Amino acid sequence: MAYSETNPLAEDFGFEVGGPLAAYWIALLRVITGWWFFHAGVTKLIENGLNFTYGTAYMQGMTGTALGPIPVWMGNNLAWLIEPGVPLFETLIGLALMAGAFVRLAAFGGVVFMTLFWVGNAGFGNGLVNGDLMGLLLFATMMVFAAGRYYGLDALIERLDVVNRYPKLRYLLG
Amino acid sequence: MNQFDITDKIATAFGAGLVLLGIVGLGLVELLAGKPYSPVPLTNEAGEVIATPAIDPTLRTGLVLLGLVVLFVWGLYRAATPDAGADRTPTEVTAD
Repeated sequence: MAYSETNPLAEDFGFEVGGPLAAYWIALLRVITGWWFFHAGVTKLIENGLNFTYGTAYMQGMTGTALGPIPVWMGNNLAWLIEPGVPLFETLIGLALMAGAFVRLAAFGGVVFMTLFWVGNAGFGNGLVNGDLMGLLLFATMMVFAAGRYYGLDALIERLDVVNRYPKLRYLLG
Repeated sequence: MNQFDITDKIATAFGAGLVLLGIVGLGLVELLAGKPYSPVPLTNEAGEVIATPAIDPTLRTGLVLLGLVVLFVWGLYRAATPDAGADRTPTEVTAD
């Protein structure tokens, strides 16, 4: 088993996608996933600017979910973050995924969003595995495979000196 | 499949290009064209259509499906074609 002194994360977080087809498909999925969130965010920005009040109402309505009182508390107390944050972060997450930059960080944000959608929408008529869960898994897959390294800017960013000096940045990149 | 030859590159680029054109490319056009921002007509309270999408969703979905068909056909071609370009020379790997 290879061991790298310079990159302690090379084994656990250095999954290499083998072959051109896998890299190609992961990159294609990444861009489409990015467009999904970019479209959701930018249309909110166009329609409501940084005042997406439905976001707080949505979270206030998440009573009795698996997340307990957390989203309700957030809806009641973090309107200053949620109302501008939902459209802004959705847009930025989408842009990051399409460009392939800071994909793990952005995809983690996507996982947070999709967790709230999956639990909050509760559209389980066809079972627990629904489109929202699939979206959540897509973002998680982007993180696992470090999808930004394939036809994405993370491949370039990870060659910067600062990343070599602080290899833990790869938690956020890739 | 160790390497893509020129046929593979053209097929995969064309397939992805069609998919991305249908989803991202024409999606941007739709955004820039104004309301509605999604491929569904806007209606007023009486149910009358007041704005239609700039790009017909039939065209967008058609492009995506065509791209997937291209990739599927390419996959069949790859399955039926010996991988002549691949280097099949065994390489020695040290167990560690």
